[in-house]
Amino acid sequence: MAKMINRLILKYRIFRIEKLQAKQEFLENYRDIQVFRQDKLLLSATNRIEETHQEKLRGFALRAGITTKYIEQEIKTRFEKAETKHYWEKRALNQIMIRKAKTHKLDEAQLEVIRNKKLKLLDDMLALRKQKITASFEAKAKNPEQAVALYENNSLLLDALFEKKTQVVKEKYAAKTAKIETNKKNQLERIAQNIKNHKDMIGKLTKDMPKNDNGLPEDVILRLDKLTMRFGGLVAVDNLTFDVKQGEIFGLIGPNGAGKTTVFNCITKFYNPPSGLMYFRKNLVEVILLNEYPVHKIVKQGIVRTFQNVELIWELSVLDNLLVAAHSLFQTGFFGQLIHSRKLHQEEAVLRKKATDILAMLGLLPYQFVIPFGLPYGILKKIELARTLMVKPKMIILDEPAAGLNESETVELARIIRKIRKEYNTTIFLVEHDMGLVMDVCDTICAISFGKQIAIGSPKEIQNNKIVRDAYLGEE
Amino acid sequence: MRKLTNFMKQQSKQFASVVKHPYFGFILFGLILLFTLYLRSMGLVTISIINAIVMTMIYSIIALGFSLLLGYGGMASLGTAGFVGLGSFIMGYFSGVLHYPLIYTLGISFGVAIVVGLIVGFISLRIEGMYLAIITLGLGEILRAFFISYDKFTGGYSGRQFRNFTLFGNAVSAQAVYIIITVLFVLAMIATLNIIKSPTGRALLAMKNSDSAAQSMGISLLKYRLLAFVISTVFAILAGMLYIMYIKFSYAPDWNLSFSLNILAAVIVGGAQSIAGIILGVFTIFGLNLAILNYIPFFQNNSALMVIFNGVLIIVVVMFYPGGLIRLLQTLKYKFVLFIKKLRIKWKVYKYGKDD
Amino acid sequence: MLVPGIDVALNQILIFVPALVVLYFLMDMLFFRKHLKRQLYRNKLINIILVVGLIGVFFFTIKAITMQMFLQIFLLNLVDLCVLVLATTGIVLIFKTSVTTNFAQGMMATFGAFFAANFVLYLTSNSSMGKTPKLFLGMFAGIVCASLLGLFVDVVIIRRGKHVSSVGKQMITMGLVLVLMGLIPVIFGTIAPSLEAFSVDVKLFQIGDMMLVIPYHNLYALVITVVVLAILFGALRFTKWGLGVRATASSEIVAGMMGVNTRVITAMSWAIAGGLGSIAAFLYASAGAQVQVASMIPVQVNAFMAAVLGSFSSFGGPIVGALLINLFSSVAPFYNDVWQSVIVYGVILLLVLAKPLGLFGKKTAKKV
Repeated sequence: MAKMINRLILKYRIFRIEKLQAKQEFLENYRDIQVFRQDKLLLSATNRIEETHQEKLRGFALRAGITTKYIEQEIKTRFEKAETKHYWEKRALNQIMIRKAKTHKLDEAQLEVIRNKKLKLLDDMLALRKQKITASFEAKAKNPEQAVALYENNSLLLDALFEKKTQVVKEKYAAKTAKIETNKKNQLERIAQNIKNHKDMIGKLTKDMPKNDNGLPEDVILRLDKLTMRFGGLVAVDNLTFDVKQGEIFGLIGPNGAGKTTVFNCITKFYNPPSGLMYFRKNLVEVILLNEYPVHKIVKQGIVRTFQNVELIWELSVLDNLLVAAHSLFQTGFFGQLIHSRKLHQEEAVLRKKATDILAMLGLLPYQFVIPFGLPYGILKKIELARTLMVKPKMIILDEPAAGLNESETVELARIIRKIRKEYNTTIFLVEHDMGLVMDVCDTICAISFGKQIAIGSPKEIQNNKIVRDAYLGEE
Repeated sequence: MRKLTNFMKQQSKQFASVVKHPYFGFILFGLILLFTLYLRSMGLVTISIINAIVMTMIYSIIALGFSLLLGYGGMASLGTAGFVGLGSFIMGYFSGVLHYPLIYTLGISFGVAIVVGLIVGFISLRIEGMYLAIITLGLGEILRAFFISYDKFTGGYSGRQFRNFTLFGNAVSAQAVYIIITVLFVLAMIATLNIIKSPTGRALLAMKNSDSAAQSMGISLLKYRLLAFVISTVFAILAGMLYIMYIKFSYAPDWNLSFSLNILAAVIVGGAQSIAGIILGVFTIFGLNLAILNYIPFFQNNSALMVIFNGVLIIVVVMFYPGGLIRLLQTLKYKFVLFIKKLRIKWKVYKYGKDD
Repeated sequence: MLVPGIDVALNQILIFVPALVVLYFLMDMLFFRKHLKRQLYRNKLINIILVVGLIGVFFFTIKAITMQMFLQIFLLNLVDLCVLVLATTGIVLIFKTSVTTNFAQGMMATFGAFFAANFVLYLTSNSSMGKTPKLFLGMFAGIVCASLLGLFVDVVIIRRGKHVSSVGKQMITMGLVLVLMGLIPVIFGTIAPSLEAFSVDVKLFQIGDMMLVIPYHNLYALVITVVVLAILFGALRFTKWGLGVRATASSEIVAGMMGVNTRVITAMSWAIAGGLGSIAAFLYASAGAQVQVASMIPVQVNAFMAAVLGSFSSFGGPIVGALLINLFSSVAPFYNDVWQSVIVYGVILLLVLAKPLGLFGKKTAKKV
């Protein structure tokens, strides 16, 4: 009886730890976003101040009629405007000429005469405008020395004002950022303390309990033990047993119908295998039995998958597709979502940033807000891959990732797979027919045929294995 | 001068961001409707227009819940009429006959809504797609037969009258009911929009598009199916309560298949995924004849033509404009804008000649 | 109808059925949890329990109301059974060839019935035919009319809507319901002229020591139904057309590639379904029911229930479903006059929940 209570308490503590860790991660990300926002606001504020400063200086200079730099610039801009206007008027004139020629049936010479006359008019107007512009800047200063003195006075004042304003703004934002940082530090400290407490309690409770790792060595992340799957009388997977080590890229190969996708479906519980056990190492101390979990709880344990036929959500944009993938990370309850509470906005901001980062890493940013319908097949596969990264999984299952990709895309896929393994520190378990990709990227390969395992080892070993060659690879 | 223009630019940007926000649109719409009530009290607006507005609002609430089921969950339910009727009779019986305080009646109706929604949701798990439509049709028929048989509750073939509705001790006028309905209508629109734009709405779409992908991403089909049904049933029952509060009468045989089909038609014709579309659809199917066509003699003589019109509208929209009328209007607007742009370019080419 | 022993029967049923359910769950928990072929045994057990349950329910009921009354009621309700069977077969036929649930089946049937009734009226006033040939001619006219309507609907609407999703196709038929619902009063007026029955005589006969009465009209209906269905099923099994229907039913695209003229087959299926529905409506009307636009709706709902109950994937299943629904409806008034419809629908719902794919349905798994 006491044992059962202990087990319940243990479950509760683990649950609390998971929730606290989720909150931790959320806080870190959200505070980062907040700091980022503050920086942006600071930048725009300082820009605004500087702009106004420059404007005011310019205004004074123009009024004083001094400091040729400003005046020259001003004259140049106005000249340009006049010239563009002249250009367009010339073009309009040409069109009018062409139309007149058609209607009045004039010949070339007459046309030339009229056109030159009108052109001269236009040029004269342009010269007149330019004159006006230069004139308007000359008769400015009635009293040059006084104007200069006034200008210098004012400019000094303005500079001082500018310094002060920038100082104030910077201080304000520094204060805000500091506050955010301290908040974050405090909250994270509190949470870390909480987690430590829970972990200590767990340590005390589990001190007497037998170690719950089902005999799984520490470097093994997935163990299939005599996995069997039947469909009626057809045995799709037959007593399959192998280990997948942590952090490796594991490949499953075999002819069509060998049962590879069925293995995936069993691991991710789309099918319920009638016999055989599947152990998964959640973390250093916890190993779970996948058989006990229903389909929709698998992703929370850290396993994600892609599908052979791309299963994206065609009615949502690419970014929203990734947000759905992060569904298990949302902590807001239904009523919070109903009223769009602050917490929901914050979480969405965090996850949106995460999604854009992932899209940027895979080079999919141009497709962010587009609906995936009609995009090239290679891009769709990449989006599926991006989807799996949203939850920082411990194991990614890829179902024929190179299907439908050409040579160069396959090479890029290999590069991406290795990059993902390095950056996210996950294990990758893939099924593939493209032997080039498999031999290139996998650390261990398991070959199955008719549901039974026929070989397992490094790519070199598999390549030289006679049984595999007979069943699948062919002579080469 | 420049300072002034900059200031105005900034202010107008802020103004635009507030005004473009959909909540603002909904609230503005509600305010316009309230203003119409004021116009009525000054005699500028006929009672039939007010009736048309109220019926549109009530049916829109039903349609909004229905669209969450159909447009976002991908599940067709033809039992809506039964649920609305249930709401009306609960209100009519508990508040009208037994004179329970409003809170109790609300509690009973929400409780019933949640239970019924859960039941239908569980049923939906066992049954797929088209079978579900038929089963919910059967459920609607069960409810209709239930209403006709259980006349202590519903008044059977004489219907249930609803008089002397008191709130906090005072009698409630028709104007007050109008205001309550408008407020709830705006709230329903806001709630639906919130659900659509939240993780729940995305989860529903995921479930609709690919339930394998949804499950692999942690979306429990059970939970979200139940949720969709419960929400839609709550909306329907709430609308039923509002119905009897305004019409003051509820007749059991009225809650039949034809009504459910009309709601379905409204959602499909207007556009199953857009709120403006739904309201447009409801108005087309329900409000149009009340407000406008009643005044055209041709339609006065042949009321059956209205039904034919609705039917033809459904067929045409489903076959040629699957996004509903609202999508059609958006496409037209887009095409119009493009056309204007092209005209502009043509004019420029005419005036300035082509670039070399 | 109050029968003395009915409370006893109710109690017996209320003990018997839950006992079966409990038995099922017990067996499931004890034996099947870890068994390899769990699903298979579970299905078999569900089937057995359903059959035993149904037999038990009817056994207790008949014991209470006596076999004579049961058979009598059955014979009296024979027309309803025929109507339901015909309507259901029409629905399944369209579903198998166009993969659409045709909600407009009842309306098309009503359209044909209105035409038939008016035609009979015309014949009555403009000729001096005997009653039976008049009625048969009227029925025939109704069949032709409804068939043409079905043909029209398929060629003009359904064919254009090939690209629409299945939900969309359902919507189209629902729109069709509304169109027809409005069209019928415009063309024919709101109420059809009433149809006479084939015969108002009854026949007395004896089985064992039970005296049974059957109206001749019901016999007519039964014979017509049996003949029509025999022709239909015979055609399906033995003719080239039937082979084409079965091919299109299993996969339209592949059938087209194999040289089957799917357009003709689909059009003919719609026409035939219209015809079947029209016969059903005609029989329903001439049994004394007033032909109104709304009158076929309950029949249609029941027809859909029968199809769901029997599973859309076969032709025999819905007929069994229709039989079950008919028997339930005949028996329910004995239990509670006021709530009979609720009881019938409730029982059907429970059956459908127990076997979601229909009593004879087969489960197909999707490859992920």
